[in-house]
Amino acid sequence: MTSGLIKQFIPDAVQHFADDGLEGLEKYKEIKPDFMIIDLLMPKLRGQDLIEEVKKIDIDAKIIVLSADVQHKVREVIDKMGVLTFINKPLNEEKAKTIANLIRNDAQ
Amino acid sequence: MSANLNKEDVLKELFNIGVGQAASTLSEIIDKKIVLKVPDVKILNLQEGKKELDAFLQNVAAGAVMVSSISFDRQLQGRISLVFPAEKMHRFIDLCLHEEHDTDAVMDFTDIDFDTIKEIGNILMNAIIGELSNNIHIPVEYTLPEVGILDNARAEAFVNEEAYHLVVLMYISFDIEGTEIEGAIVINMTLKSLDDVMDTIENWL
Repeated sequence: MTSGLIKQFIPDAVQHFADDGLEGLEKYKEIKPDFMIIDLLMPKLRGQDLIEEVKKIDIDAKIIVLSADVQHKVREVIDKMGVLTFINKPLNEEKAKTIANLIRNDAQ
Repeated sequence: MSANLNKEDVLKELFNIGVGQAASTLSEIIDKKIVLKVPDVKILNLQEGKKELDAFLQNVAAGAVMVSSISFDRQLQGRISLVFPAEKMHRFIDLCLHEEHDTDAVMDFTDIDFDTIKEIGNILMNAIIGELSNNIHIPVEYTLPEVGILDNARAEAFVNEEAYHLVVLMYISFDIEGTEIEGAIVINMTLKSLDDVMDTIENWL
């Protein structure tokens, strides 16, 4: 669903997927994607820990957080980790467009 | 006594705000107006909670129920479950995915169905617990959401006698374009957690 919505606004983007945080980290190391979209609640490695690991490899890694967690405290902590943006689920067209614009503008 | 009553009223209101937030989020997912009725928030001890929940399961949700749950810990500890009659879930899933399916196999659910309920449940339960956490400034950490179908479910499935001592029960009923869905939100939390919440509320009064 997330993938489809984002593809709608950036049709030429190549997307890779991971089933859990650990696989996400492995794929990051292997592919070094331009952008990562990370959920905070994931099996094997939490989103917050994945961000930390990725930032250890590349402090400038471009990460977008997409999470159902509405806690202000969680958002504060994640914002301090240097992510591009924190978007609350559910993802809809408007939010997907925001992500797409962020990626497109940053890529220019 | 009045101080206790006031604290409980505030707590009930906080849960009501969370449910309202969850309904608003659901409306955003479905892209349709949802008429939500939350009759009452009941804060019950374990025995009362089990009795009430069993009555609900026998009267409203006789047969199979679909249960979506998430546990939370750190300063607040417990488990929240959304309990809905399984027979209404195909329509609900179609509404969430903006799709239309005809199915005679009411109790047949695909992996996509379960994933949809897991994800929607996760968002709704985060709205309820997250809103409470934001209001009382006590952070929580969630475990992964779970979903399943239970035949002839009993209260024991949602209320863990050994680890928890309190049941917050909210019967909810919502109408989405003529489809009425009745369900329950069950929050099974430790007394220590409730004390922490009540202490925070007491400071407000």
